[in-house]
Amino acid sequence: MDFRQNGFMYALGFIVVAFVIVQSAFFIRKAWKRAKELGIESSVLKTTVTSSAVFTVAPAIAILATVIVLSKALGLVLPWIRLSVIGNLAYESTAASAVLGNLNQAITDKGDFSTVAWVMTIGSCLPLVLMPILCKKLHSKIGGALSGDSKVGKLGDYISAGAFIGIITAFVATSINGKSSDGKTDGGFLSIAVLIVAVLLYLLLETIATKFNLKKFEPFVMPLAMFGAMGAAVLLTSVLPAELVTHSWFN
Amino acid sequence: MKKTYYDKVHTWGRIWSITALLVLFSVPLAISVYYNAWPEMNSLFSALLKVLPIFWISAVVEVITYTPMLGAGGTYLSFVTGNITNLKLPCGVNAMKSANVKANSEEGEVISTIAIGVSAIVTTVIIAVGVLAFAPFLGKLTDPESILAPAFDRVTPALFGALLASYLRKYWRISILPLLVGCIVLVFVPTLGAGTLLFVTIIVSILGVFALSKFNLLESKKK
Repeated sequence: MDFRQNGFMYALGFIVVAFVIVQSAFFIRKAWKRAKELGIESSVLKTTVTSSAVFTVAPAIAILATVIVLSKALGLVLPWIRLSVIGNLAYESTAASAVLGNLNQAITDKGDFSTVAWVMTIGSCLPLVLMPILCKKLHSKIGGALSGDSKVGKLGDYISAGAFIGIITAFVATSINGKSSDGKTDGGFLSIAVLIVAVLLYLLLETIATKFNLKKFEPFVMPLAMFGAMGAAVLLTSVLPAELVTHSWFN
Repeated sequence: MKKTYYDKVHTWGRIWSITALLVLFSVPLAISVYYNAWPEMNSLFSALLKVLPIFWISAVVEVITYTPMLGAGGTYLSFVTGNITNLKLPCGVNAMKSANVKANSEEGEVISTIAIGVSAIVTTVIIAVGVLAFAPFLGKLTDPESILAPAFDRVTPALFGALLASYLRKYWRISILPLLVGCIVLVFVPTLGAGTLLFVTIIVSILGVFALSKFNLLESKKK
């Protein structure tokens, strides 16, 4: 049997999955209890759960797709474990490539397999070392400076929003004119069209939700805009000429 | 002195982080022991030398950048489960906006923690179910020849386009400068990844906030 995905490897996978689920459930339970003490209504909390679950589906399927991409070289289970704990495609594929040279061939040597697992783990472990040391300090110093009780606090709200916008615009900019490592998702016609559809669809759905006072619909505006824009990518690819759809600034 | 909710979250977070570290290292250790296949030191150090400078510098910057935005509980959860920029952060932001709570308030803290926790569970379940049941099917779905492949190739513009739109109404003045600077930087370095570019755009965005504040342009003057 393939040593990369036998019963032993699946057992390891299930242990990691169980750990992630138990940890998440623990924090949800504590936060839920605190939310009730703060007077947040159950309906708000339930909507948070539902909308977060819906929001997560598409990116999670994209992550699952990266497991499949890596599975050619590493089997299904190691990428599954790595992408369930800390990992992301860029880190895991870089770590595996650093050992194997490329990811086009199925790994056959158990020593190489073990080396890949160690490199991925050591490479990605630092945040877990830093968190217990730095998290509280960062929260009390920066978070405290941004809490919004005064005029300074109001500016703090804008700084906080500015930081989020900084992150968002970096990804938006790479979708407009960035060059991807695989050459498949370079900035160009399709990515800009998807961006525009996502923005317009969000604004349209948000306007409808506000105008008709659809409180329960509001949390689903963002996931729906995201799915709609992904659907637009499929539609545009089907109906427009291939040379237009595949146009990028780099070809 | 009575412990606040934040104090308790940090205590739990520290315990969970250290436990996660043990679980994380138990995987390669178990593989090495079970297969009696230990990494050759030369090969291990040579590979680590290639990845550690990038991974560890990014890790330090990510911890400093994301920690104030995710809330305490959300931070501890996010750094264990990963996929922060493409999933956990947008999910937490969406939940806080929908619940109409501020990121740095205790209400924001609990909403962000619940959203990120749910997201972590849903992601883990989807990946696990996908690996167990749908792997052959999913390969076909995301295959470059599949009709749905363009959708999965464009998750990033779809996700971040929707997120940007959620900020545009209130913060369009802040959004213009970092987007412009991001695009200009990419003209000169098109291969720069978003994970690196965001350090530039965050700084530009925050400097923009200070500049707009100085000239009283953060908010519309019309009441």
